[in-house]
Amino acid sequence: MPVTKLSPAISARNLTLTLGSADAPVDILRGIDLDIAPGEVVALLGPSGSGKSSLMAVLSGLERATGGTLTVAGQDFTNLDEDGLAEARRGRIGIVLQAFHLLPTMTAAENVATPMELAGTKDAQPRSMAELEAVGLGHRTGHYPTQLSGGEQQRVAIARATAPRPDLIFADEPTGNLDVGTGEEIVELLFARRAETGATLLIITHDRSLAEKCERVITMADGVIVSDTSEIRGAAE
Amino acid sequence: MSDASATTGLSWGTAWLIARRDLNARFRGLRLLLVCIFLGTGALAAIGTLTASIERELAASGQELLGGDLEIEVWQRDLTSDEQSALGEYGEISGGYRLQAMASAGDNAAPVELKAVDDKWPLYGTLDLMDGRETGAPGGTEAWLAQGAMDRLDINVGDTFTVGTVTLTAAGVIENEPDRLSEGFQLGPTVLVAKDVPNNAGLIQPGSLYQSKYRVAFENTGENPEVVEEALSDAFPNAGFDFRSRDRASPGADRFVRQMSDFLTLVGLAALVIAGIGIAGGVSSYLEARRNGIATLKVLGASSRDIVRIYSLQIAVAALIGSAAGLTVGILITPLLGLALEGLLPVESGFVIEPAPLLLAGAYGLLVAFAFAAAPLLRARSFPAMALMRSRIVPLSRDKRALIATGAGIAAICALALITTAQPLLSGGFLLGAGAALIALAALGLLIQYVARKIPRPSSPLLRSALSNLYRPGAPTGALVTALGFGLASFVLLAAIQSAIDGNIQSRVPQEAPDYFVLDVPRDGEETFYQVIEDRFPDAGIRAVPTLRGAILAYGAEGDMIRVADLEELPEGAWALRGERGLTYADELPMGNRVVDGEWWSADHNGEPLVSVDAEFAEAVDLEVGDMLTIGILGVERTARVANVREIDWESMGFNFTLVFSRNAIADAPHNLAATIELPESDDTGLRGELLRELVREFPSSSVIEVGEVLTEARTLLEQVGLATLAAAAVAVLAGLAVLMGAIAAARAARMYDTVVLRVLGASRRQILAMQLAEYGLIAAALAVVALALGSGLGWVIITQLFEFDWLPAWGEVLAVLGLGLAMVLAFALGGSLPLLRAKPAQALREL
Repeated sequence: MPVTKLSPAISARNLTLTLGSADAPVDILRGIDLDIAPGEVVALLGPSGSGKSSLMAVLSGLERATGGTLTVAGQDFTNLDEDGLAEARRGRIGIVLQAFHLLPTMTAAENVATPMELAGTKDAQPRSMAELEAVGLGHRTGHYPTQLSGGEQQRVAIARATAPRPDLIFADEPTGNLDVGTGEEIVELLFARRAETGATLLIITHDRSLAEKCERVITMADGVIVSDTSEIRGAAE
Repeated sequence: MSDASATTGLSWGTAWLIARRDLNARFRGLRLLLVCIFLGTGALAAIGTLTASIERELAASGQELLGGDLEIEVWQRDLTSDEQSALGEYGEISGGYRLQAMASAGDNAAPVELKAVDDKWPLYGTLDLMDGRETGAPGGTEAWLAQGAMDRLDINVGDTFTVGTVTLTAAGVIENEPDRLSEGFQLGPTVLVAKDVPNNAGLIQPGSLYQSKYRVAFENTGENPEVVEEALSDAFPNAGFDFRSRDRASPGADRFVRQMSDFLTLVGLAALVIAGIGIAGGVSSYLEARRNGIATLKVLGASSRDIVRIYSLQIAVAALIGSAAGLTVGILITPLLGLALEGLLPVESGFVIEPAPLLLAGAYGLLVAFAFAAAPLLRARSFPAMALMRSRIVPLSRDKRALIATGAGIAAICALALITTAQPLLSGGFLLGAGAALIALAALGLLIQYVARKIPRPSSPLLRSALSNLYRPGAPTGALVTALGFGLASFVLLAAIQSAIDGNIQSRVPQEAPDYFVLDVPRDGEETFYQVIEDRFPDAGIRAVPTLRGAILAYGAEGDMIRVADLEELPEGAWALRGERGLTYADELPMGNRVVDGEWWSADHNGEPLVSVDAEFAEAVDLEVGDMLTIGILGVERTARVANVREIDWESMGFNFTLVFSRNAIADAPHNLAATIELPESDDTGLRGELLRELVREFPSSSVIEVGEVLTEARTLLEQVGLATLAAAAVAVLAGLAVLMGAIAAARAARMYDTVVLRVLGASRRQILAMQLAEYGLIAAALAVVALALGSGLGWVIITQLFEFDWLPAWGEVLAVLGLGLAMVLAFALGGSLPLLRAKPAQALREL
C-alpha cells in the first residue's frame, strides 16, 4: 500500500503484549499509544525489562501484539498472521540488531542482497554491491561474516537494512556489541544512510548521548511510555 | 519508498538461489542426513539388484539348470515304457541314472557320484570340459570326471579306472556341468558316463539305491509344466513321481533364494528404519543449527512458505546426492555380494543394472527423507521470528500438520514396502514390529525423563546438571534414546545372527559321526562285509540296516483312507508324502528312537503287517495308532497298520527312518543293506585305504560315502551362508553406527554451551567428563536391556523363521558385542568433548 507523508508511519493504539502461559501470564506491554511521523528519527530509551525491545518487535512485525491496533507504513498490522507480517516487512522495513544476525553461510554481498531477493527485486546483486560501497565495505563484498570485525559486520547489517530503500528502519541497540569509537562511527553511518533514504528511524538504546541526537526521545518503564519529548515539545509550543 | 513487488512468496528459482547460497559446499550439518540416505539407499539398491538378478538368472536359465522343461524322478527303478511314452508325447526326452559308486584306479579308491546320461543329454546347454571342448554325454566306456575324482584316483586324462565291473577311460575333466545346481547336494565328485554303464557295471540290480531321472524338452514351448505335471500324476497316480519344472529347477536354490531374499528384505527394511531415524535426527539438528539463520531470514521478510521452500530444496539436494551415491555404490558392491554367494546361487558375475530395484531404492530414500524431514521443517515454518530467537530455551512446540505429513510419508513407505515385497506378511510383521519398537523407545525416553525429574536433586552441582540435562526443556533425550536403541540393537542383531549360525554349524554338523556310510551291501554279503572290516579294524563299530525306497500312497483310518494323489495340497510338515522315501524294517526299536504311543512289536511278530511312524509326521497328517498306511515299493502296493509312534533324534548322525515296518511287511521286496562304519582313532591312513579297496573288490556294486568329506562340504556351505548373511547384516550395522554417531554428535552440540559455562565457573575437566559419563551411562544402561531384546528378537525371527535354523546364539559373545557398543557410545560422547575441555575457558568461550 502506498504511504503518503500525511499519514503517520506508525500508529499504535492501546497495544498490549502478554507472554508466558495462561497460568502465569507476563504483561510485557501494557497499553501503548504512539504515533510516529514519516521520516521522523526517534530514540526509544528505558531500563532493561522496560519493554522497549518488545515494542520494537511488535512495531516491526516480528511479534504479534496481544491486543490493540497497529498501522505501520499505511498497512494495518492488527489482524495479519505471521506470513502476512513477513510479507509486510519485505522491502518496507529494515531491521538492525545488536548481535548483527548476519547469515554466516553467506558473503557480505549475499547477505545484503537477500532481503531484496525475498522481495522479488530484480537488480538485487548490483544494488547490494553499491550499498556495501556506500557503507565503506566495497572491498569486503566477498567476505563471510566470520572474516569481518564487529564494526564491519554491523556495517553490513546497516547496508542490508537500507538497501531495499525501506520506509522504516528499526535499530535495536546497534552499538551495544561495539566499542565506543566504532559505535560512534556506526551511529554516524546509520544516520547518514537514513538521511539519504528518507526513512523513518526508530533506535532502541541505553545511550543518552545517542538518544539526544534524535529528533524525538520516548522513554519506557514497566511496559508503558513514561515520557515522550514530542509531547513536551507540543506542550511547550 | 520501497520498490518491492507484491509477491505472496518466493519463486522456486529465488528459493533455490538463497538455498544454494546457504548450503555449505561441504554439506556441513547435512552429513548425517547424507550418510543415512546413502546407507539406506545403498543397502536397498544392492539387495534389490542382487535378488532381482538371481531371480532373473534362475528364471532365464531354468531350462538349462534343469536340463529340460520338466523332470521326473523315481527311485530304484527305471520308468516303464508306458511312462516314457507318456512323457515323450510332450517333446524330446532324455533319461539317465544317479547313484553313489566306488571308483578305483590302481591302489586308489574313491566314492563318486555316478551320473549316467543318454546321448540326448543335455537337452539344454552344453557341458564344458577343461580342455575347452563343449560337448554332451560321453560315449561307450569314456567318462568325464570332476577334478576331485581325478585327484582322488590320481589319474590323468587318457588313464583308465574301474567302476563296479567295468573299466572306463578318463576322457576329459568337467569344467561346467549345465544342470549341476538342480542335482542338489553332492556326496562325492561327479563321474559322468553313458547311460548303460551302471547296468554293465552291475550297479543296477533289484533293490539297489539309484535314482532314475527323465527330462523332457517341450515341443510346444508354450506348454505349461504344471499342467503336464498334473496330467502325468493323474495318468500314473501310484508311480511315486517326483516332479521338477524349469520354474523351480533347483528347489534347494529356490528355497535359498527365497530365504535370502526374505532376509535381505528384512535387512533392507531395518537399514531403512535405522536410516530414517538418522535422517530425522540429521534434519532436526541441521535445522536446529540453522535456527538463527531461519530467524534472520524471517526478520528479513521470508514467509513460512519461503522457509519451507528454501530448506526443502537444501534437504532435497542432500537426499538426491545421498541417494545417487547410494545407488552407485549399491551397483558397485553387488558383484562382491555375488562373489560371497558364488556356488550357492546362480549369480551373474560383473556389474548388473536392474532398473526396477534401483528405482525402488531411490524412491525409498527420497520418501524416507521426506517423511522424516517433514516434521522439523514444518515446525520451523510455523514459528514467529522472535520465537525462533528465543527457542534456545523454549523448545518448538508440535505442529499437527507435521504429524499428518510424517504419517502420510510413513504410510507411503509402508505401502510401497508391502506392494513390492514378495512376502507381504513378513514385511508387514517387520514394519509393525519396528513401529512397536519405536513407540517402546519413545516411551522409554519419556520414562527416563520422568524418573530423572522425580528423583531428589543431588547436592553435587555436576550430578544435578547431568540429571537435569535429561529432562530440561529441549533435552534431546527422546531422540538419543531412539537412535541409540536402534543403533545398539543392530550390534546385538549382528552378534546374535553370527553366533547362532556358528552354533548351528557346530550342532548340525556332528563332531562325532561314523567314518563311512556304505550303500547297497547285498543281503547275502552281510557276513563277508563284517569280516572285511573286522579283519582290519577289530574294534570297528558296524551297523547295517535293510534299506528300500517307496512312496506313501494312502493313509488314515481303516476304510476311510486318504489317497495322497487326491490331495490338492500337502498338509504342513508332511514332507514325507512327497515322492519316495527311504524305508526299513526292524525287529527291535532302532537306537536313538523312543516310542511315545502304542507298543513295539515282538521280535518274532508274524501277524498283521505293522508300521512304526515318526511322531512329527503322524502329527502332521493326523495319523494315530490303529490307522492304516499304504506304500508303493517298485510298483507294488503294501498296506500296514500303525502299531506305534516314535520320537526320533534326527540330529544323531546315523540311520533314521520316518517309517519302520515289521519284517513281514516288506522284507520280501528286493532290497540291500546300508551300513555305517565307525573306525577307531588311528593315524594309519594306509589301513583305511586298504579297507576301501577291499570293499570295492568284494562289493563292486556297493558305494561308500566318506562322511568326513561330506561334513567338510556341509560345513563350508553353511559357513558360506553365514558369511553372506553377515555381509548383508553389516549394512544394518553401518546404518546403526552412523545414526549412533549422529545422535551423539547432535546431543553433544547441545551440551557445548553448558560445558563451556561450567568450565568458566571453575569445573575441572575430570568433573565435566564424570558428569557426561553419568548422563550417557544412565541412558546406555537403560538402553542395553532394550537393545538386547530388540536385536535378539529380530535375530530370532531371521534365524528360526527365515533360515529355519535353531536359535543358538552365544550369549557371552552377544553381551560382549553389546558392551563394546556401549563403550563406543561413551567413548564417542566423551571423546568429542575433549578438544573443548583441553582449551582454556576464555578460548572455549570464544568458540561458542
